[in-house]
Amino acid sequence: MQVIKELLDTFFSDVGVFDAICVTFQMAFCATAISSVLGILLGLLLERADFVGKKVVIRINRTLMGVPPVVVGLIVYMLLMRRGPLGRLNMLFSIRGMILAQVLIITPIICGMTYTTLVSRAPAVRAFAKTMGADRLQTQWLVVRELKKELYFAVVTGFGRSISEVGAVMLVGGNIKGHTRTMTTTISLLKSQGIFTEGLTLGLLLLLMAFVIQSLADFFQKGERSDENY
Amino acid sequence: MKKQRQWLAVVLATLLLAGALSGCGGKEAETPPAESPAEAQEEAPAETPEETPAEEPEETEPAADEADAAPVEKKGVLMMATTTSTADTGLLDYLAPIFLEQTGWELQWNAVGTGEALKMGENGDVDIVLVHAKASEEEFVANGFGVERFQVMYNDFIVVGPAEPIAHTEDIEAAFKTIQEEQLTFVSRGDDSGTDKKEKGIWKKLELDQTQNPNYLESGQGMGATITMADEKGAYCLTDRGTWLKMKNDADVELQLEVICEGAADLLNQYGIIAVSPEKYPEVNNEAANTMIEWICSEEVQELIGNYGVEEYGQALFTPNANE
Amino acid sequence: MRIIDLEKSQGDFQMRTGSFSIEERKIHGIIGGNGCGKTTLCKLIMGILKPDSGRIDYEGLNVREITMTAQRPYFIQGSVYENICYPLKLRRICPDEQKIDGWLARCGLEEKKYQYARSLSSGEQQKISMIRALIFDPKFIMIDETLSNLDPENLELFEQVILEIQKERPVTWLLISHRLAHIYKMCEVLHFMHQGEILASGSKDEILFGSEDERIRRFVANEVIRMEGKHGAFES
Repeated sequence: MQVIKELLDTFFSDVGVFDAICVTFQMAFCATAISSVLGILLGLLLERADFVGKKVVIRINRTLMGVPPVVVGLIVYMLLMRRGPLGRLNMLFSIRGMILAQVLIITPIICGMTYTTLVSRAPAVRAFAKTMGADRLQTQWLVVRELKKELYFAVVTGFGRSISEVGAVMLVGGNIKGHTRTMTTTISLLKSQGIFTEGLTLGLLLLLMAFVIQSLADFFQKGERSDENY
Repeated sequence: MKKQRQWLAVVLATLLLAGALSGCGGKEAETPPAESPAEAQEEAPAETPEETPAEEPEETEPAADEADAAPVEKKGVLMMATTTSTADTGLLDYLAPIFLEQTGWELQWNAVGTGEALKMGENGDVDIVLVHAKASEEEFVANGFGVERFQVMYNDFIVVGPAEPIAHTEDIEAAFKTIQEEQLTFVSRGDDSGTDKKEKGIWKKLELDQTQNPNYLESGQGMGATITMADEKGAYCLTDRGTWLKMKNDADVELQLEVICEGAADLLNQYGIIAVSPEKYPEVNNEAANTMIEWICSEEVQELIGNYGVEEYGQALFTPNANE
Repeated sequence: MRIIDLEKSQGDFQMRTGSFSIEERKIHGIIGGNGCGKTTLCKLIMGILKPDSGRIDYEGLNVREITMTAQRPYFIQGSVYENICYPLKLRRICPDEQKIDGWLARCGLEEKKYQYARSLSSGEQQKISMIRALIFDPKFIMIDETLSNLDPENLELFEQVILEIQKERPVTWLLISHRLAHIYKMCEVLHFMHQGEILASGSKDEILFGSEDERIRRFVANEVIRMEGKHGAFES
């Protein structure tokens, strides 16, 4: 670890690249994990539940899927600032605050994607589960298991959004070196210093790491087959 | 029939999109009414300049005074790279319409850190730079990227922060020493800007290693964002007076920081203006750049600069010194 | 089981079954033209669809003991073996490996045990879906055109299987098929459906040969002509 840190520090300017990488992934993993649980549960709930105004809720969800991250960042900032309603939590300029903002950005995306998949695919799975005599929980579990590829894709999309996001993270995290500086805000900083090549390198590094994580995830997602018989 | 429906769908989709976006904006304005646009405004001056100067030149009052001379026809655009302070204080918003009126050149600018501003000049992306880091500026000229450096004006740096434990002083060195010794929270720009260089210079001069202070933070952001962060954290920070006054005046969350150190001789912040060398980059607008230098150093404009902000903030934000 | 005035509308389709009984431990057949509501009726019995009005009296039968196989069966992601074990797993029953192997061998599928179920041909899928439905000994089995893609040999195999089960420990069957010969051979009771309505229920001879109803006679005659034509084409 120390070796990598030194290697990075010699290559990049003194902007705390190693810490930024750690912070980025710490934040992205936490935010994606929380959002996945929330988003998938909400998606399942939304598909199962029938209530007045469901269509409106879905429309709001679709809208939030594209909410500008800076707006979320601003709202979270205003909530968390010392004189804001949640000021005493002392979460502004901290990774926890950044995770909160990201959860608000990513959850609607995962929820929306989950919902869309479920609406088109779950009825067939449920009907089948019924014929096999599955109870409610078993049915729900089968739905998740059968659609894991799609849900996994939703989670990966959320993760990608998380590591690539800069606006909300900059506002809420504050880009503090060694604490809340992420790879994307580092790139933004490097750009503001006119150090373009390092920014670009860091961007490529970010992509590379995303690729490695993607490959690892694919590797552990064993037994995926396409359905040949149509 | 089907086609009409499709068209209708496209139109509706566009409208919805617009509606959703404006919806977001509305929500943000609604939440805590008293506090909300604080941060938004701080960013605003950096974004607006591109449209404002061109579209509403008549609105600024001094322009009307100068308008005795017949309006000059529009000649084109002068692209400037400058520091965030000149844009954040609104000085350029104030000067640009007058410049257009008097010379016919439309001033557009990119407000970034001094480091990046000079880099833009080195790349020939702009016609002129207006920054405040003397050593870097001289190097810029020495390397042949700029023609000549003219000093324009100065403002001064101040240290702001909580009134306790550092009492108001003129002694910048003592203030910095106390921060280091008592490990007080200090927010640095950390973005290699002119202000950042100034601050790093002070630490260096005192032979202190500020990074040993666990409460020394680098925000990596502009001056406005850094002041806001210092305010949130109850921390000290070095800022230029112009941005500070503007923030203090305009931010709708009242800043709780106070000026704790001002007036020291080495806290002066000298701005210089340099035309990008037409020899290096023939495509730059050297004519407009020279017009600008001549214009901004003229007595009349120097006086405008000297009066800028007096009305609004009770004191001038910049002191002109082109003729010294 | 008694079906009491089930009503269900799906889009333009209106279903109104009227009341009729499905006697226990017998092989029932449902016949009728395409889109007359046979599958919808099965889904209502299965509980996949909820009726708009009316109800089903299961007479003590647990819905978990009802099963249904579709013409294009659903398979979970996994091997043939995993699919066959799925209903057992739901009931926490340890799969009887020998029994499963026996079934697979009987259908000529022993080679495919560990193949990905969704990659098999539709005939093979139908056979597996039958095995999967029979493996957990349900008391009420609906076969919705599941045997349609089987060749005569395999069809006969499953006909035999059904009859064997009926001999050993009779359960209730509901067969949907367009093969009248198959229906005639298997079923004891027939229900004729037309535009979402059960027009008649009765013994197979009553329905196929003795019906007064013009629509039923027409349907039977048409089916017979169609089959004849097919056979004719075969022979020439």
